[in-house]
Amino acid sequence: MSVSMTPRLLAPGRDLRALLVKWIVALLVPVAIFTFVWNGEVTFNDLWLTLLSQSKKLLYRDPVVLVQVGIFMLVLYATTMLLAGYLVAADSGRRSNWEIWADVFFYVVVPILLIVLVNHLLIGLGLSVAVFAIYAFVRGRVVKLLNYIPPSPREDIQVFDAAQRRVVISKGKIGGFWFSTILALIWVLADVAFFLAGAAVFSENSLWIWVGLRTVLFPVLGYLLGWVGGWVAARLTLSENGNGGAASNGNGNGRKVGRLRRLQQLSSARIAEEARNLVPNDLPLQSRGAWRFYLILLIVFALFYPALDRALFGSGTAGRLSGYGDLGYYVILALGLNIVVGFAGLLDLGYVAFFVIGTYSWALVGSDQLTALTSIVINPQVLPWLFWPMLIVSALIAALWGVLLGAPTLRLRGDYLAIVTLGFGEIIPIVFLQLEKVTNGSIGIAGIAAPATPSLPPLIPAIEWSSFNPTPFYYLIMALIIFTIFTNVRLRDSRLGRAWIAIREDEIAASSSGINLVRTKLFAFGAGAFFSGIAGAYHAAKLGTVTPKDFSTTDSYMFLAMVVIGGIGSIPGVILGAIVVYSLNVLIIPQLDGMAGDPQNFLHFIRDILPAFRFQYVRNLVFGLLLVCIMIFRPEGLIPSARRRRELHRTAEEAPEVGTLDSVPGTPGFEQEVRVE
Amino acid sequence: MNPELILSLLVLGLATGAIYALIALGYTMVYGIIELINFAHGDIFMIGTLLSLTMMNVFGINASAPPKVFTFDLIWKLAIGCLACFLICAVLGVVIERLAYRPLRNAPRLAPLISAIGVSLILQDGGKLWKGISDIPFPSIPLGFVTVGSVRINFVDILVIILALVLMLALQFLVTRTRMGKAMRAVAQDRDAAALMGVNVNQIISLTFFIGAGLAGAAAFIYSIRFSTTKFTIGYELGLIAFTCAVLGGIGNIVGAMLGGLVIGLVGAFVSLIPPSVLPNGGDAWRNAVIFAILILILVFRPSGILGQQVPEKV
Repeated sequence: MSVSMTPRLLAPGRDLRALLVKWIVALLVPVAIFTFVWNGEVTFNDLWLTLLSQSKKLLYRDPVVLVQVGIFMLVLYATTMLLAGYLVAADSGRRSNWEIWADVFFYVVVPILLIVLVNHLLIGLGLSVAVFAIYAFVRGRVVKLLNYIPPSPREDIQVFDAAQRRVVISKGKIGGFWFSTILALIWVLADVAFFLAGAAVFSENSLWIWVGLRTVLFPVLGYLLGWVGGWVAARLTLSENGNGGAASNGNGNGRKVGRLRRLQQLSSARIAEEARNLVPNDLPLQSRGAWRFYLILLIVFALFYPALDRALFGSGTAGRLSGYGDLGYYVILALGLNIVVGFAGLLDLGYVAFFVIGTYSWALVGSDQLTALTSIVINPQVLPWLFWPMLIVSALIAALWGVLLGAPTLRLRGDYLAIVTLGFGEIIPIVFLQLEKVTNGSIGIAGIAAPATPSLPPLIPAIEWSSFNPTPFYYLIMALIIFTIFTNVRLRDSRLGRAWIAIREDEIAASSSGINLVRTKLFAFGAGAFFSGIAGAYHAAKLGTVTPKDFSTTDSYMFLAMVVIGGIGSIPGVILGAIVVYSLNVLIIPQLDGMAGDPQNFLHFIRDILPAFRFQYVRNLVFGLLLVCIMIFRPEGLIPSARRRRELHRTAEEAPEVGTLDSVPGTPGFEQEVRVE
Repeated sequence: MNPELILSLLVLGLATGAIYALIALGYTMVYGIIELINFAHGDIFMIGTLLSLTMMNVFGINASAPPKVFTFDLIWKLAIGCLACFLICAVLGVVIERLAYRPLRNAPRLAPLISAIGVSLILQDGGKLWKGISDIPFPSIPLGFVTVGSVRINFVDILVIILALVLMLALQFLVTRTRMGKAMRAVAQDRDAAALMGVNVNQIISLTFFIGAGLAGAAAFIYSIRFSTTKFTIGYELGLIAFTCAVLGGIGNIVGAMLGGLVIGLVGAFVSLIPPSVLPNGGDAWRNAVIFAILILILVFRPSGILGQQVPEKV
């Protein structure tokens, strides 16, 4: 960073121009693919037309849906403009264009294209994870082959003065401005091309107002949002007055401890981690600043997804939403198991037991079974409302069982524990199957009530909770997932969470440092089971029926596969693992079977060779192969937690330096050098 | 209580117990030498049962047309079948060790365990692909029976018990009396020290897997003579039970595994005496639950098992 003069907007210098080219290409390609290949433009045009004219057969008759889609589209474009500003401001410019473009291509463009191609969000994502894995592998090989050493971010940690921070902000402005200007121009060109090709939409004159408005507004908006992006980047610099814009940490003496000082005190491995979030850095795409924008995008997408689904994937929304509701409880289960396996390092192979307990907790209360068992009659109007307290109660019951089953196993070492929990996973479904008086045995319990929500007719419309209307369940599971993630993050960073990790690393050392092993392990079991109780109650309410057949011990293996594939102990990794396992299990494999069964399809040849073969039969084989391969080739999982990555790659990062010793062994100098006091 | 019922249950318990014990030996040997619970071991047994079915078909013994009378010819066929099962399963065990466990020898403890679970899943689906998902009947072998009082005791049961005993004695001899056995015990005690003394550790570990998996194969063949059906999930169920036997006897202890097998076999047989008034649907439906409850109780109250010694954890 030798530039201290503020760069100009219209004629940026040569360095800045190179950065602009790099990031505008990197961002424009995915945005353009979304806009022109997928449904972005059509959706926006339709939105505009619905707003101004009543004439057409329109996508969005419902104003609520209209508003939601509109907000999402606005947030989408605004966030990319913010990102453009941030990335231009935050990049150190040392990584080559092609490296960044390849990353963007494989991690962003390929998923979008795959999703568009298969026209299904999760199948597309599941397939792209396979592409990620191949890409990461090939990339590693190529880097090794070319002997390419990427610049390490920790070397250029330096303090910024006010002028340099102003440069960062103005780079953001310039980045946002040029990105949105070019986007607007491309969009106008595309519109003109569509018009010349005779697209029907352009018969509406009001559409041209939108085109004009957009073309003028985009650069202005881009300038302002780029400013914000640059400001975010400037906050992440190491600055003179302590702490990069944020309030400085004062300690007891009132002495300011700057970020630089803090960085200097960290281990070298931690510095590499932390420096990734400083500005400028070599990988701004992966920095904390950029993650904020991704998160905004992700949250808005998840929030408005039920409205968006039709615009993006066409008909069949209800079925898909219901599927995502199911995916949601996989995610919660995986996160719960992650507490036990990932944080505390206790291999639990009977996790399905707690899920069964949670499911039956609500099933027994929320159906006629309660009356049959205890002859307590609950007003059917009131029963659905009991779901909300029971959600907590089922979780607590499951947690209690977690503690009860965990207690006898505390003295056991890792592998015995695995077997005992496996035994529990086997016993509990048998108990629920055989206790016919309570659980109806193999017939199961039907007619479990769905939850109810308050309605105040003019303001809050009544919500129909039934298996035919998956939208409320989608929002319910979203809320539960957010709650679970939040709790998991807070638990991980708490004193208890650190104790779990200490136990995972070395039980004896942890106990010697004053960690109460019994209590800590029991908390891990209880917390893990708590979340499976939540997932169970949700599952019972959504499905409406429960039978012991729904649960098998191999489910526990599946849950373990989610945790292991994603990355043991890593919260985003585990969520990704759940998505991968779910899409393999419920979407991709049945899809393949359907394709093989169709005589028109190219996969049909499998039926000709092996008539009895079904892809379903090899489901566990695929999971098994994944488990073995991950353990051997990438034990940290797809998205490793920071700690685990450091652990597993410490030796690679901190290879002993050649020539550390100055003297030859045997000489007096050597003796002096290596002598230990 | 009916003494004839007890006698027949006793024989049944001893026969199943002998099979459990043979499988348990594989668990206990592998655990003793590399401290890994080989989750795939039960599934090697399952593959063994499918293999023995193929063997019998090769020798012309079919489930649809089982041999009517016993001939000496049959003994040879059975002996060769058992040997072939032993060898193929043993090789399978070595291959699994080479591919899935050896790369993880120095990884954190959880890694080989998860890898073992993965191998177990792979073998299960392999069995599913090979013979389908339904129960597969074995041909019945007419070995005759003796009548004690009014109880019919099949020669099969006696043969099973004798075969298992012979194999266990051979193993005991191998481990305690031969050079190879000495090397195995040395590796189990301290891998590094054994390597320094000139023991080829990898070879010995492979050998352990060879013998353990081979015993599972032999057990599978014996099982296919004694019982009527198999299925791809059988390895999982029997494997868990056999592991219970290994733990009951004291894991790492060969005599203990035999003892544990017999005890669990008898418990499994006598569970059916529990009347429906105590457990709904009678004891049979709860057999696995009872066995796992025993496992949990042992682990809680005497984790070292009947014959094992409490080993202080190495730091």
